[in-house]
Amino acid sequence: MLRILHDTKYDFVKHWKTAVGATIAFIVLGFALMGYHEARTGAAVNYSIEFLGGSSIQLRFAQPVHADAVRSGVDAAGFSGSQIAAFGTPEDFLVKVPLKAGATSAPDAPAIGQQIVAAFAKTMPGNPATVRSAESVGSSVGAELKTKAFTAILISFLVTLIYLAFRFEWRFGVAAVIATAHDVLTTMAFLAMMHLEVSLTVVAALLTVIGYSLNDTIIIFDRVRENLKKQRKESLYDVLNRSINETLPRSVLTHATVLAATLALLVFAGEVIRPFSWIMAFGVFTGTFSSIYIAGPILLWIEHRWPRKTGTETKGAARAMAEERRRETRTPVATR
Amino acid sequence: MPLKYRVSIIVALCILSGWFLFPRNVTQRQRGPDGTLHDVTFRRVPLQQGLDLKGGTYLALEINDSLQKIPSDKKGEAIDRALKVVRTRIEGFGVSEVVVQKQGSDRIVVQIPGIQDPERARKLVEEQAFLSFNITDKTQALERALPRLDQVIKTRGLTAKTDTSAKAGATAAQKGIQGLLTGTDTGKKADTTKKGAAAAKDTAKADSLKIQPGGALSSILEQGQIPGQFYVESSKVPALDSYLADSAVKAAMPPGKDFVPGVDSTPLGGKFYRSYYLLDAKPIITGEHLTKARPNTSPTDGTIVEFELDNEGGRRFRNETGKHIGDYMSIVLDRHVMSTAVIQSAIGTRGQITMGGKGLDAAQDLALVLNAGALPVPLRVAETHVIGPSLGQDSIDAGRRAAIIAVVLVVVIMLVYYRFSGLLAVGGLVLYMLYTLAALAGFDAVLTLPGIAGFVLSIGIAVDANVLIFERIREELDRGKTVRTAIDEGFRHAMPAIVDSNVSTILTAAVLYQYGTGPVKGFAVTLIAGIFASLITSIFVVRTFYLLWLNRSRGAQTLSI
Repeated sequence: MLRILHDTKYDFVKHWKTAVGATIAFIVLGFALMGYHEARTGAAVNYSIEFLGGSSIQLRFAQPVHADAVRSGVDAAGFSGSQIAAFGTPEDFLVKVPLKAGATSAPDAPAIGQQIVAAFAKTMPGNPATVRSAESVGSSVGAELKTKAFTAILISFLVTLIYLAFRFEWRFGVAAVIATAHDVLTTMAFLAMMHLEVSLTVVAALLTVIGYSLNDTIIIFDRVRENLKKQRKESLYDVLNRSINETLPRSVLTHATVLAATLALLVFAGEVIRPFSWIMAFGVFTGTFSSIYIAGPILLWIEHRWPRKTGTETKGAARAMAEERRRETRTPVATR
Repeated sequence: MPLKYRVSIIVALCILSGWFLFPRNVTQRQRGPDGTLHDVTFRRVPLQQGLDLKGGTYLALEINDSLQKIPSDKKGEAIDRALKVVRTRIEGFGVSEVVVQKQGSDRIVVQIPGIQDPERARKLVEEQAFLSFNITDKTQALERALPRLDQVIKTRGLTAKTDTSAKAGATAAQKGIQGLLTGTDTGKKADTTKKGAAAAKDTAKADSLKIQPGGALSSILEQGQIPGQFYVESSKVPALDSYLADSAVKAAMPPGKDFVPGVDSTPLGGKFYRSYYLLDAKPIITGEHLTKARPNTSPTDGTIVEFELDNEGGRRFRNETGKHIGDYMSIVLDRHVMSTAVIQSAIGTRGQITMGGKGLDAAQDLALVLNAGALPVPLRVAETHVIGPSLGQDSIDAGRRAAIIAVVLVVVIMLVYYRFSGLLAVGGLVLYMLYTLAALAGFDAVLTLPGIAGFVLSIGIAVDANVLIFERIREELDRGKTVRTAIDEGFRHAMPAIVDSNVSTILTAAVLYQYGTGPVKGFAVTLIAGIFASLITSIFVVRTFYLLWLNRSRGAQTLSI
């Protein structure tokens, strides 16, 4: 039997102050970078045209071409002020043309693409360009999408909170949601550090990270719930540590398989989906981190602040718990 | 549950999945080039590819309320009616597998797969096709209003930026007027004796125009060939539009009249002039009485669209045109004058629109939109995505490659770590992929690039339940339980964690589905289908595999896990 990290007794919770300090530093750094981006480009977050409005034209040239040559061609076509970015290979470029002031409907992206291609036929006669995709979004969509993305995240928090409060206890729900909110913040910091483009797909990735991180937190909390029933003498601190250690092999294995799938996406699935893959890869780490170092300490803090009132909170549940305890002391489960 | 049933359920699920994924004939209604609807049948795997994979044009349309405000409670109903019109028009485009559907409460989404002319598609759906027949003004209402309008423009300070050009234009305009007036006069004479007062009116017009040579608007407008028609030099059109957009100018325009541009420009003395028309705001009739329109070519007028009116429309048309013999009537489409003609006699149920030198396909498109009816509200494009077919194919290839690599990596990890049990999990994983794809096909889900990414990701997540169970079994074995008990207990103890974690993921995915659009929705659907398939395979299928193994090697003392 191949085993890794079997029967470990690490004191994970002890290091929570260092961990929380590190993650706050990471988030602060990320948000400072956002400020830097804002000062440099005028936008804190690199939103895609889905949010900003405007057109985005994906071009492929017959031969590799330098970004400056692309810029001069796009300028020649009359779209100066556009954003030009390499897109995976030296032949592929993405041109983002901002929305004209006051324009509400989506610009005619295919026509813009044709104009740019026609301009390249003059500036670079030997290297014809083709339009691989042309997309444009009017001003009304963007604002709506931002609200929708924001609502989606908030509602997913709310739904999870209710579900966990129902299945576990409100303490667990709050701790899990705060840990997940932490993941949103670190992922945003990561976005700023990589200067990734925030598109709808990236929002989807963010929500997947939320789901994944919750998953992880729930696995640990499930152990805590179980161990609390079994060992009433142990402090929550010890129960938490024990639960993290007990679920450690599972965590390592699952993270390995998920990371394997994510890396396959990152390396092989191409440029269009790359920001998504980056977020997911980062999400595996931040999700694991937060379920150990954020959810745990918060649970401890809540427990400290609002101690569990045994016997008075819900009488039925307490009686059932006491009953179970009595039974377990009578017939020892462990037959080691 | 007896083992027999378990196995037969798994086999039945596999057969069902196979049936869902088996290529089949799909029949769709499609409008042919001759305009008739007929059924087209083709064979394909039921799993649909999204536009980002197969290439095509995506348009999201919304109500354009920049011209007229539409109360929000009317919007939903307007969109429903607009949806029908857009669908009829797009079906006439003659492409298979087009999608026209409502998104949310206030958008219409049009998806046209394949390499079609995206600009033509856009024009076809954006055109409101509001057709009306209006009498051209002959009372010189605009000329009389000009001094007031010039004053308004001056006080609003609208001329400041175009001051110098306006002055230069003023002299040119004077010349233009002279030239035009003489030209018009000869034209009128040739046109014979419609009205005795015509000549007198013309001079009166010229006078009124000359009164204010320095006025901003009067220096732009030049008298056209017929009453109520005006010429504007092409370079001055933006200035005119900016004046007309001003609310104070709008208010000072002659009441009960509409000032509408024409569609084409006329060359005069080396310059191009755009026509503008002052029309009676109340149309004689509108396009709703139109029953049939078809493109044609006529030896005298070039490309035309012939139309017929219904009985009521015909009657009203005959009445009104009878009252206005000798007047000019304009055919207005979407606030642009298509053509203007003098009413020689009362007109009945038939008429024609000249296309003014445009090609036959323009006439075809116009006939198509007229037949489909006018949009109840003007629409504008809120979003467009045009994906080239090569990009789509590249995405499919890349997605497939990533999926294969992911599967290989996950299989290797599971086999190395869990050996025989890992093999059972891999068997479960194969069924997982089959079930997920079948579920997607069964729900008629559209496979998008984010959807593929979600699927690849789910391969990594799907084994999580197996891992949880296997780790529990290991714990039970550590406690010295027999293999059979350890397996039973392992599954039982892992259950709460598996259920809670998967339900919370489903909840997140459901939120994503509710609030996502297009590709993101596809992603959420893949995620949800994946979770259910993963629950079935890890809890039920792998358990059955264990039971089969236990049956075969009764009294097994060790388990390779």
